[in-house]
Amino acid sequence: MAKNVLLVDDSSTMRKIISRSLRQAGLEFGDIFEASDGAEALDVLEKESVDIVLSDINMPNMNGIEFLREKASRDAIKDIPVFMISTETGDDIIGEAKSLGAVGALKKPFTPDKVNEVLGPLM
Amino acid sequence: MSNFDGVTEQLIDSTIEIFTGMVMMEVAPTGQVMNRMNPLKDSITGMVGLAGIHKGLLAVHLPKAVATAITSNFLGIEVDAITEDVEDAIGEIANMLGGNLKSILSDKGKDIQLSLPSTISGDEYNFASQADVDTLILEFKAPEGEFYVEVELEA
Repeated sequence: MAKNVLLVDDSSTMRKIISRSLRQAGLEFGDIFEASDGAEALDVLEKESVDIVLSDINMPNMNGIEFLREKASRDAIKDIPVFMISTETGDDIIGEAKSLGAVGALKKPFTPDKVNEVLGPLM
Repeated sequence: MSNFDGVTEQLIDSTIEIFTGMVMMEVAPTGQVMNRMNPLKDSITGMVGLAGIHKGLLAVHLPKAVATAITSNFLGIEVDAITEDVEDAIGEIANMLGGNLKSILSDKGKDIQLSLPSTISGDEYNFASQADVDTLILEFKAPEGEFYVEVELEA
């Protein structure tokens, strides 16, 4: 069954690019939900049926690390996998994200081929 | 030792990677390297700040024609004026360039912090730092015109 995806990025342009890249990568997915920061993402996760989250790190209001930390404290949503898509790829930041439950990371910029390679196994 | 030892070539590669891989636009460096921008006309500038072990900023200066072409490629719609979509798209270009610059300057993550991207635009404006900084400005050519990637790092 196709998975529902939540895209979390403060840039509406980047959310469109990621959505387009998922299609260009030939990945099958169900509904796509969008949020512009971690707080909005938590609201969507509480209300909608989301199977995987693709999240930026550097965002206003609630960044990707704070989002992971808050999500991990909520039983109803803590097991939904989160994959980071960000310009932030330093070992210590990605290490912190993974310690908070992130299942992987993809560096911006990316190509549809790279999206297929890293997200294909999760979709 | 210059702040920019080893940075120039990697910044050129990273700019080409972003434009060809994500904007789907062929760009190339013209070879012109400057340390001061001329007044910008009918342009938009996207920028991110750097704090931590390196302090400064990365800016990308684009004439309207290049900026709207980038946004059209990103969104798949025709854009011919500097709108919120253009500001968002150019902010994201600056964000990706800033992220790559951060990786060039340090392979860790937390010793340099990036600000959120911002943009300025107008019919004519100057982009000049008041601080004591080393400045590197690289000129690139896109199909719609020349644009500039600028790095300022505190000396």
